[in-house]
Amino acid sequence: MMRLWPRSLLGQVLLAVAAALLIAQTISAVLLYRSSEQRRESAILHSLAYRLESSQAERREAREHRFRRDDDIDSDDKRDMRSRENHDRRLPRALRLEITDSSPLADGEQRDLAREKALRTILTEEDARIGDLVVLSRDPHHDAAFARIAGTRFELPDGELVIAGLRLTDSDQWRVARVFARNGDQRALQTLVVQTAVLYLVLVGILALLLRRITRPLAALTNRVERFARSQDTEGQIEPTGPDDLRRLITAHNAMEARIAAMLDEKDVMLGAIGHDLKTPLAALRVRIESVEDEGERARMAAGIEDITRSLDDILSLARVGRASEPPERTDLGALAAAVVEEFEDMGQPVTLADGPRVVAPVHVTWARRALRNLVSNAVRYGGAAEVSLDREGNEAVLRVADHGPGIPADRIADMMEPFARGEASRNRETGGTGLGLTLARAIAEQHGGRLVLANRPEGGLVAELRLPME
Amino acid sequence: MTEPAPIRILLVDDEATLREPLAAYLSRQGFAVREADSAAAARSALLEESPDLALLDIMMPGEDGLSLCRHLVEAKDLPVILLTAKGEATDRIVGLEIGADDYVVKPFEPRELVARIRSVLRRSHRATPVEEDAGYEFEGWQLDPLKRRLTDPEGTTVPISTAEFRLLVAFLDRPRQVIDRDRLLDMVQGREAHLFDRAVDNQVSRLRRKIETDSRNPYFIQTVRGGGYRFAADVRRITGGTSA
Repeated sequence: MMRLWPRSLLGQVLLAVAAALLIAQTISAVLLYRSSEQRRESAILHSLAYRLESSQAERREAREHRFRRDDDIDSDDKRDMRSRENHDRRLPRALRLEITDSSPLADGEQRDLAREKALRTILTEEDARIGDLVVLSRDPHHDAAFARIAGTRFELPDGELVIAGLRLTDSDQWRVARVFARNGDQRALQTLVVQTAVLYLVLVGILALLLRRITRPLAALTNRVERFARSQDTEGQIEPTGPDDLRRLITAHNAMEARIAAMLDEKDVMLGAIGHDLKTPLAALRVRIESVEDEGERARMAAGIEDITRSLDDILSLARVGRASEPPERTDLGALAAAVVEEFEDMGQPVTLADGPRVVAPVHVTWARRALRNLVSNAVRYGGAAEVSLDREGNEAVLRVADHGPGIPADRIADMMEPFARGEASRNRETGGTGLGLTLARAIAEQHGGRLVLANRPEGGLVAELRLPME
Repeated sequence: MTEPAPIRILLVDDEATLREPLAAYLSRQGFAVREADSAAAARSALLEESPDLALLDIMMPGEDGLSLCRHLVEAKDLPVILLTAKGEATDRIVGLEIGADDYVVKPFEPRELVARIRSVLRRSHRATPVEEDAGYEFEGWQLDPLKRRLTDPEGTTVPISTAEFRLLVAFLDRPRQVIDRDRLLDMVQGREAHLFDRAVDNQVSRLRRKIETDSRNPYFIQTVRGGGYRFAADVRRITGGTSA
């Protein structure tokens, strides 16, 4: 049920219009059908009445037959003209009115009481002296009179004979009139179906054209927004097209894009300036401490400067991530992991790389390296050692860094990826780092269209997974 | 490290806070330092005396370090080391493309700077006529020295460390020659101070892991009995670097 409901604007509007049209057409079909049924019914009754009365109206009939030989009696009734085709199969003259000695009602046949009542009203109005009145309907093939008189050469469409028998008060004889009534009102129904189909085609066609004028620029705008979300540059903005409302939306969107891009550019320039303005005095300080005699003092000062530099780099990187100037390159992640692991090995830290499958993914090498480096350095800092492994899971490359540390309380895991959050174990700067490591790793994962997942290992320790899409 | 005549260095930086202590430090290290606070001042200093090497700050008001660098490399054929505040790869590539020999990112360790100065001078004395930024190609592998990017025959980037990069360049410059460990160490030692006392073999085995199909049975980098290595493939130089 839910799947049948279209998701797109075009589909939904077309479906709504189609449904509305269907309901409207159904109502009008029902009304039309009912009024034509009524007309048919009254035509049948009037024909019957006329035929039954024909002896009383002999003069009239004689005159009619002079002018319209062989024609149906109801044909002079203008009101009935339109419904002629419904019941007016010309029955042989002898069948139209028959004089018999008995009632036409055979054993086991039902009287048609509704018609009887209506016919009685008509006949009463004509001042007929009604003794007995019987109305019934019968399949023509079961009608003895029909078989006798018309035989097989008279073919009829599906329908029934409506038979009325009248015995006047002063007579013993029955006058039996027969009218053929065709089944249903198929022609009208057919017209209605054709009419509806034509309406559908025209309306839906025009609507589809109109809607495409709206949905096409909308789709283009959607694509554009998605692209801008990734690239944040104003290259390839779309031209305003479509109805005025959409044109205004597109123009406004383009202006917003330009503003965002300008702000981001300003931010980059500003960060560059901050970096320069802070790093030059830091460099000067770093040079000056070389003249400090006390070696221990000098090492502590150098470490302090390194700390500041690292924080500064993290902050600047975090602000810049996602603004990569070059497209990602297909990279052998195994070699990338090895390069990072070796950096730590060189510093004498217990970091190992497990054998794994060859995994190639499009990444920004410097950024991916940085993210992995942050994860490894966290593992070493809090877990004492790091085990790095590389895997392929579905369409994702998974760089996994596991440690044997205390892990993180489950309710704190999400917080750990927020800027400047640090594990309780290391509030002090000595081991705490900048608190930007995980934030940066997560930002880098997201920049690649991937994610960073932290989880406690059942056997103890934390595992951090850098999941990057391979396509 | 005593030299017969002191090495002359031209130090160009608009920031006196950095320039002055750095000049003092380099003097203490035995260099003859001449200071300039702008590109214009540097140009007039060059008229009087030609130094052995120039240290240039990139970001300076007026003419910037990159433009001065181009002039020094093209007109004076002078070794240049850039001082930059940004660590972005693009800055490095632009600098190296213009012809700078090396760069250091502020704040740098003064000792590392001195090591770089010596390394650059050593390289320039070797007088390598081959175009510095030409790429290398061996059996489908490509190495772009500017971007320091190694790609395998399928075009996949294989990240390598700076030490591995230097080692590979040393091999690619001398294909099919036996290079002994001491020479290799000399050619590879660069900014990583720890490399000075670290065995080359470690680096070689790491490099093998990245480029050999079977690192236990190496095809490219072969160990030569008697202490040394040989790069056992033909190397082609590609001008204009590799195309990504």
